[in-house]
Amino acid sequence: MAQAALPAAPQAIWIRWAWLLPLALLPAVAGLPGEPASWSVPWVAPLGVRLGFAADGLARLFLLLVCGVGAAVLAYAPGYLRGHARLGQLMCLLIAFTLAMAGAILANDLLLLLLFWEATSVLSFLLVGFEHDNQDSRDSARQALLVTGAGGLALLAGIVLILLAAPGLRLGDLAHLDPAVLGDARFQAGVALVLAGAMTKSAQFPFHFWLPGAMAAPTPVSAYLHSATMVNLGVYVMARFDEAMGAVPWWEAALLAIGTVTALWGAVQAPRERDLKRILAWSTVSALGTLTVLIGLPNELGALAFAAFLLAHALYKAPLFFVAGNVDHATGTRLIDRMRGLRHGMPVTALAAVLAGLSMAGLPATVGFVAKDTIKAAKEVSGVLWMVEGASLLVSTVGVAIASVAAVRIFFGRPRHPAGHAPHEGGWRLALPPLALAGTGIVLGLFPGLAEPLVADAARMISPALGRGDASLETGWLLRIESFAVVWAVGAIVYAGWNRLHGLLDRLRFLDRAGPAAAYDAALRGLKQGAGSLARALQGRRLSRYLVATVVATVLLSAPWTVGLALPAPAPLGDGGAGVLVGCVTASLGAILAVRGRDTLGRLLGAGAVGAGSAVVFLFRGAPDLALTQLAVETVFVVVAAVALGRYRPGQGAGAAAARGGAWPIARLGAALAFGLLLGAVLLALSGRLQDSAMADYFLAQSVPQAHGRNVVNVIIVDFRALDTLGEIAVVMLAALAAWPLARRLPPGRSGG
Amino acid sequence: MNAQRSIMLETTVSFLYWVMLGAALWLLLRGHNAPGGGFVAALVAVAATAACALVFGAPAARARLPFGPLGLSALGLALAAASGLPALALGQAFLTHWWGELAVGGLALKVSTVLLFDLGVALCVWGALGGFCLRLLEGVR
Repeated sequence: MAQAALPAAPQAIWIRWAWLLPLALLPAVAGLPGEPASWSVPWVAPLGVRLGFAADGLARLFLLLVCGVGAAVLAYAPGYLRGHARLGQLMCLLIAFTLAMAGAILANDLLLLLLFWEATSVLSFLLVGFEHDNQDSRDSARQALLVTGAGGLALLAGIVLILLAAPGLRLGDLAHLDPAVLGDARFQAGVALVLAGAMTKSAQFPFHFWLPGAMAAPTPVSAYLHSATMVNLGVYVMARFDEAMGAVPWWEAALLAIGTVTALWGAVQAPRERDLKRILAWSTVSALGTLTVLIGLPNELGALAFAAFLLAHALYKAPLFFVAGNVDHATGTRLIDRMRGLRHGMPVTALAAVLAGLSMAGLPATVGFVAKDTIKAAKEVSGVLWMVEGASLLVSTVGVAIASVAAVRIFFGRPRHPAGHAPHEGGWRLALPPLALAGTGIVLGLFPGLAEPLVADAARMISPALGRGDASLETGWLLRIESFAVVWAVGAIVYAGWNRLHGLLDRLRFLDRAGPAAAYDAALRGLKQGAGSLARALQGRRLSRYLVATVVATVLLSAPWTVGLALPAPAPLGDGGAGVLVGCVTASLGAILAVRGRDTLGRLLGAGAVGAGSAVVFLFRGAPDLALTQLAVETVFVVVAAVALGRYRPGQGAGAAAARGGAWPIARLGAALAFGLLLGAVLLALSGRLQDSAMADYFLAQSVPQAHGRNVVNVIIVDFRALDTLGEIAVVMLAALAAWPLARRLPPGRSGG
Repeated sequence: MNAQRSIMLETTVSFLYWVMLGAALWLLLRGHNAPGGGFVAALVAVAATAACALVFGAPAARARLPFGPLGLSALGLALAAASGLPALALGQAFLTHWWGELAVGGLALKVSTVLLFDLGVALCVWGALGGFCLRLLEGVR
């Protein structure tokens, strides 16, 4: 994926310096008020949709991540994909994604949120499928789009329900929601659907599987979308709703259950992988589960822990993805078995990996430790179920092991790497962004007071009850050191036995066969096969089958509307009645001959007789022009068709059997009868309704004075409606042009199968 | 068609071809005041072309179509469209028809852009449908 070192191609200036823009925005974002502030302008007034934006502490924290990690990614990408023909496209998509994320976070109106939410899904699709000449990339991109797109639909349905229950509700109003609205079943159902949407976006079990798949994306994309920002959007929405829903029993139980299962699932799957990026992806799934659990914790400290862990996770996971990208860039592989001791060739990357790894493992003096400490405190206060506690212990342990793999295993020990790929740094663009992010994590770990206002303001948006004094991030780590020590020790053991664990977990193949990912594959396959079977059933490659399908569908679909149609009373035939009768009998006999005739010529003549019979009817019903035209058309048709069809030999091939009735003759007869009766009834009913003759009277009166013609039909065609006629003859000519290549020399001897 | 030629058919059709075209012209000219008109005229002409193709072969019938089938069709479309242009020059809506009388000898002939329009319809349909029939018949040995 990564390009080998090419001669430095000149890069456009905006590509080289795009990263300065989000970086310059950082102070502005940090200066946003911690208390809610909103702006709004009317947009779609009839629907009551406004372009409403709001900023508060929670939005500020998310925006800081978007801009901070965004700056790192925009600086990193031109170095990682140096010389790639579509680098400009990638940069555009990344910038557009940054804007969409900012919009989603600042949106105050629910529909506006949905708009930006969908924008991030589409951009994620484009970014995951960036290497679109690769089948894997395309499949992964489609998977991500289908899963998160389905979630987007759930979100839309949820928002509609919520707006039905509480018209004009905005995200900012959730803080002081009317209890009557909260009790509304529509609101509850709406929130459940929103939760489902958020679960797809934040890769919660059972919708998690698209996230490891999305690792087909270029590394900068994974670092940005799939660790620090987009996948957090679902968690963000959950956090927004938590304040209103906190008192509803099912909400917290659901969050705890979903989050715990997700965190466990990620922790079990991670050691089964050998690809560094996929290992990190599973650990991201696990972390997202933990975030969901923290929202579900019923006390204020849970909110604080959520905000702290969100910050810490972004500050160690994004750099680790960058590290994986650097390793890939230098050695051409991401398989952890094929490299050791890379620190000699890549000292800066190794330093970043170690710093981020320390934070991920939650060792003291890192922001990861601060977060873990807050989590621990929150869980102690809540007194959560032992299952949640046990799961979180396991998850932390595996987290320590993963951190060790990423930071120690590949960078230390006796050097080993694929031949021909001596480890080397890829320039400042590759080396510095991970170091900057990981270094920030260490600084915030050493001085938690720096992050405290940010984290506390964000947490207060989720739990307003959080007092100033409780929101301290100062760690009392000596108090809880023993439980951490257990995690570190077990984590180290897991790390030491990583290969054995891998072999052990590798036996869990049934997870691959029965897991949600397998269900997705099966559903996709089933969809294709079902569509194929349906198409084959309906499109039998035989004209008679198409006809039966069309006729039956028409009858079934239109029959309900024909009930109650008033048929006109029978009228006497009047003048020329005998002629009309002759015409009808001729047409009927012709129809019977056309269906039951012995050979092609006879059937063709029968079809011609139908036309001739109708011409006779027209003649005696005062439409001589129509009669003349009909007769001419039928004559030409029968003659030409007789010659053209002359070379088909009747009685041979499958087509002949079908033409003579084929299977189910009675059913076909029934379908034909039903269709004929239906059509006849509809025509009769409609002709009974044609009472308004103002147009006809006008044409009759004006034909001679205005158009100097006594044949009203012709006058209408060439004068009153001349423009229509001009269009029609143009269509005739186009039809001839289109048929030109089709009609040429039909292959001889083939019966129309 | 086949190698079997029919003297009787050939003689009849070579005569009938022109009769049919004459009938088509008659239908075209009378169309404004009596049953007939450009479209029916064209169908009669197509029948003439088809008959010619059946007896003398498609290439012979094609040779008798002035400008070739598609050319004839295009010419008809152009004539029909052109018949609407004088109205534009007079500042009226497109396809508002113009009527006048021409004194030829002692006769007062009514002429109009309507006739031009109807002729265009006839030629366009003759070329398109006639060409399509020829196309089908060309495939037949």
